[in-house]
Amino acid sequence: MSLAYLLKRCGLILYTLAVVSLIVFAITQVLPADAAVMLLGENATPEALVAVRARLGLDAPVWVQYGHWLSGVVVGDFGVSLRTGLPVAPTMLEALGRSLVLAGLSIALMLVVAVPLGIIAAVRRGRLADVAVSAVSYIGVSVPEFVTATIVVLLLADWAQLLPATGYVPLTEDLGRGLAHLVLPVITVSVILVAHVSRMVRSELVDVLHTDYIRAARLKGLSDRTVLFKHGLRNALLPTITIVALDVGYLLGGVIVVEEIFALPGIGRQLIVAIQSRDLPSIQAGALIMAATYSLASFLADMAYAWLDKRIQYD
Amino acid sequence: MTELLARLARSPQGALGLALVAVVAAIVVAGPMLAPYGPDTMSVLTRYQSPGVGHWLGTDQYGRDILSRLLYGARATVLMALLATALGTLAGACLGTTSAFLGGRADEAIMRTVDAVMSIPSLLFALLIVNLLGKSSLNALVAIGIAFAPGMARITRSVALAVRKQDYVSAAIARGESSAYVVFREMLPNVVAPVVVEMTIRVAFAVMLFATLSFLGLGAQPPASEWGLMVAEARRYMHLSPWMILWPSLAVALVAIAFNLLGDGLRDALNPRT
Amino acid sequence: MAHTLEIRDYTLDYATPKGAVHALEAIALTVDRGEVLGLVGESGSGKTSLAWAILRYLPANAIERRGDIRLSGRDLRAATPAELGAIRGRRIGMVFQDPGTSLNPTLPLGEQLAEVLVRHRGLTRRQAWREGEAMLARVGLKTPADMMRRYPHEASGGEKQRVVIATAFACQPELIVFDEPTTALDVVTAGQILDLFGELQAETAVASLYISHDLALVSRVADRVAVMHRGRIVEQGEVGSVFADPHEDYTRHLIAAVPRPDRRLVPAGPTAAVAPLVEIRDVGVRYGRPSIVDSLLGRAARSVVGNRAVSLTVRPGEILGVVGESGSGKSTLAKALTGLNRFEGEIRLDGRRVTGIGDMDRDYRRAVQIIFQHPDSSLNPRQRIREILSRPLEIYGDSEGRERAAAITDLLAQVQLPADYAGRFPHQLSGGEKQRVAIARAFASHPKLVICDEITSALDVSVQAAVVDLLVELQRRHGTAYLFITHDLNLVRQIAHRIAVMYRGDLVELLEADAFDSPRHPYTRTLIDAVPTPAG
Repeated sequence: MSLAYLLKRCGLILYTLAVVSLIVFAITQVLPADAAVMLLGENATPEALVAVRARLGLDAPVWVQYGHWLSGVVVGDFGVSLRTGLPVAPTMLEALGRSLVLAGLSIALMLVVAVPLGIIAAVRRGRLADVAVSAVSYIGVSVPEFVTATIVVLLLADWAQLLPATGYVPLTEDLGRGLAHLVLPVITVSVILVAHVSRMVRSELVDVLHTDYIRAARLKGLSDRTVLFKHGLRNALLPTITIVALDVGYLLGGVIVVEEIFALPGIGRQLIVAIQSRDLPSIQAGALIMAATYSLASFLADMAYAWLDKRIQYD
Repeated sequence: MTELLARLARSPQGALGLALVAVVAAIVVAGPMLAPYGPDTMSVLTRYQSPGVGHWLGTDQYGRDILSRLLYGARATVLMALLATALGTLAGACLGTTSAFLGGRADEAIMRTVDAVMSIPSLLFALLIVNLLGKSSLNALVAIGIAFAPGMARITRSVALAVRKQDYVSAAIARGESSAYVVFREMLPNVVAPVVVEMTIRVAFAVMLFATLSFLGLGAQPPASEWGLMVAEARRYMHLSPWMILWPSLAVALVAIAFNLLGDGLRDALNPRT
Repeated sequence: MAHTLEIRDYTLDYATPKGAVHALEAIALTVDRGEVLGLVGESGSGKTSLAWAILRYLPANAIERRGDIRLSGRDLRAATPAELGAIRGRRIGMVFQDPGTSLNPTLPLGEQLAEVLVRHRGLTRRQAWREGEAMLARVGLKTPADMMRRYPHEASGGEKQRVVIATAFACQPELIVFDEPTTALDVVTAGQILDLFGELQAETAVASLYISHDLALVSRVADRVAVMHRGRIVEQGEVGSVFADPHEDYTRHLIAAVPRPDRRLVPAGPTAAVAPLVEIRDVGVRYGRPSIVDSLLGRAARSVVGNRAVSLTVRPGEILGVVGESGSGKSTLAKALTGLNRFEGEIRLDGRRVTGIGDMDRDYRRAVQIIFQHPDSSLNPRQRIREILSRPLEIYGDSEGRERAAAITDLLAQVQLPADYAGRFPHQLSGGEKQRVAIARAFASHPKLVICDEITSALDVSVQAAVVDLLVELQRRHGTAYLFITHDLNLVRQIAHRIAVMYRGDLVELLEADAFDSPRHPYTRTLIDAVPTPAG
């Protein structure tokens, strides 16, 4: 991997963030909501409104506003929330931390469950185990998070009374209760990911097991175990890295829904609240942070892929 | 076409998907005619009924028949998702084909921008657009369409580039054919099939996304019998009457399964290797 | 003493949804220690199925009807999976067709060789590695220690095939199955691999089953040959006697189809006195453009040279052969001539100058037609043959309506296809038939020059022979000139009037066909020496 490739990749991240910031700004700025009215309420005097608009820079042309906003973003200043009057950046970053715990645990759970399932289905291709895994994953990818959430709450919280249905306890405060509150959200987010990734692992491994080099390995007299784990799995899991990275985008969407349902104060819930209260600076910050998270995830996936796959020579 | 259907019916998943999608299509077309009650017919006498004779799937908090609401709601959910996917596919396919055809720097610029847009999660993108346009079914449709366009553009482009490398396209260019002929007569018919497969699978996703938007209160508005909205409304009565929340949830999942199965079946049926 | 490999009355079917397909019928053969049995047949003849049957690597739908497969007297059909694991790699080795796909891309070459030694000879990893290095040296690799550490993508095709061969010989097996081991390699590399095979075979006295579609090659490497056709061995015997005096019609037909340089298929060509049809002057092609990062860092664009200033003339009605290895620039030249690649320099057609794609007007395109290598890819799968053939008639404005239908029938007749093929789709045709349609499409415009880019290399020997006969016939009838691009030296020497040799983007030599045996350029010499000519 050359320096030029790294530079190029970093340039792409910057370009991505620039495009996203432009889109987010454009969408939010065309909103039929007047930030000044929101701040002062419906009964504000016209003079007060004009003054506030001037203070917020809302009377300037849109591209000047964008430049002003962007120059703040670059130094980590996302402005002040119209809803709470507090700076947006610290609130959002704190919320992001909570969401990352949720996302990280979900990815970990997904990998632990999905990879073995995919391997079993591929090795037992066409047999009962494969059909069962396929059926479960078809159902898994077809059930939206709000439905999964409903079902797990009905089963595990309401009926079995095992876990708390909603709420949030910081892990630093009480690790046990904190984790207990995260179980249902993590399961909910993971279901679709498990279904998707196990299908991908299965189809990649099925393809790999049909390659000439696997045949060659078998014809060298190697044991099934060696063929599968030494020759097959490595090649099948490489493309899975890319798929997992792409799924991070989907995961973030799932996080929004799940945080809303389970009243988890992460970045997704912040975004929904911000959207409902038309809190422009918060919407802009939340969306940009999410896009940045996704870009970073795919960057890391690319790096991991390049590191693991000796064939690729980036230039 | 008949050959394709025959190939499709040969695989279990293709056959199942085809059958389920046919049922869904029938409900979308004839749902209101099949429904025993109107979607908004209320009755204080029949509130919170469990499934049974008269109300096969039970009733909701206003005594409305859930089966009838689901049958009416098929249009609000499935039809909207179909239209949204069609919109996204059309926009994406045009962009992707153009990009593949232009090639070089223009192609790179378009695709880098598409990548950038794709780094906004679909749901978030749809949320932002609905927020811009206002809460309604139609706006949710447009939002999903726009959110799908970059992904479809990427797929169309990669298919178009693969077709572009085929010798029959080289033969047409060497023959001195115009660009329009090469694109529309030689390439397009070969690009359509894989894009249709992708589109079918996206319908499943669109149904889920549309229901999710309504669930979050940003899509269909009460008293519509859109399925996601029905789930959202039933959440308050979850403990009292779990049926209310179960049926619309199942409906969303079943439609998504149907289109996922059909999409995978189509992919296999169109694959010349099998 | 038992034969190393003995197959008796072996019969194999495949179960398909449309009923059982007979893959092998009453196969009987033996291979002894130190002997090479060549197994020859066209695609679909069952030779590969036989290899899988010997290695006990049959697909799930295989049904073994009857017969024996014995390795030094031991019944392989009765072997348990565990016993097979101990036999494969240890007592039976295998060399595959394409070293590019038969090596695991994510493991070092040394690891893939050493693991066999660890598995079968009980060596430690360290011992196996050292032994592996010695073996790589034995198969002629110059830097074995370095090669052990390399990954497949860091080695050339020839180097990889040497590693595969070293692996097959690693445990001194009794039998090695060679499945077209040189087909995926370049001519010169293939020649070197054949030499290596000969040396190792003589040294180890292993029994070899050498599977190939190439009769000329088998006649050179094998002691005995078995000819397969539709799942049966139709003829078997000493190489010399089978080739010199074949008993079966099929064998005769197959031998006759093999291109032989000494059997010319065309009369003498035009002399240098006539005005040239096409003059190619200093035509060069470059691929690639500078990336944004390159220009930012101030680096020069790393463009790849496809061709460097090639100059060549084609005389009217001449068949000009162009030979060279893959990457030598032969196809790049074809693409430049048909406007598929940008080029530098100039092309003159009947004296008219063409310096860029923009100059290629309808008359030029009509006069210069191209036929591609892969018939599957060169016909649009969504168009019927009628549509495919009518398009050139349409744009080069020859005929209309009823007349056009007649013209299509006539074109099909010229390439010896029935008229009702007009209504078919390409996938309903065989490979040879598809290539005939592509030929008909090229001739629809009455061209002066037809560029044939490896058009027979995807076809079986007998199909290739028929297509070549057809081309010669069309050339005689229409007086069309051909630029015949191929890697098959025997074939090109049969039909070309002059032969151009290309090497790494340069035209190194242009020879009259009858002077081809006495080239001046050393590369041409290497090329000729590497190619086996048919025995008998």
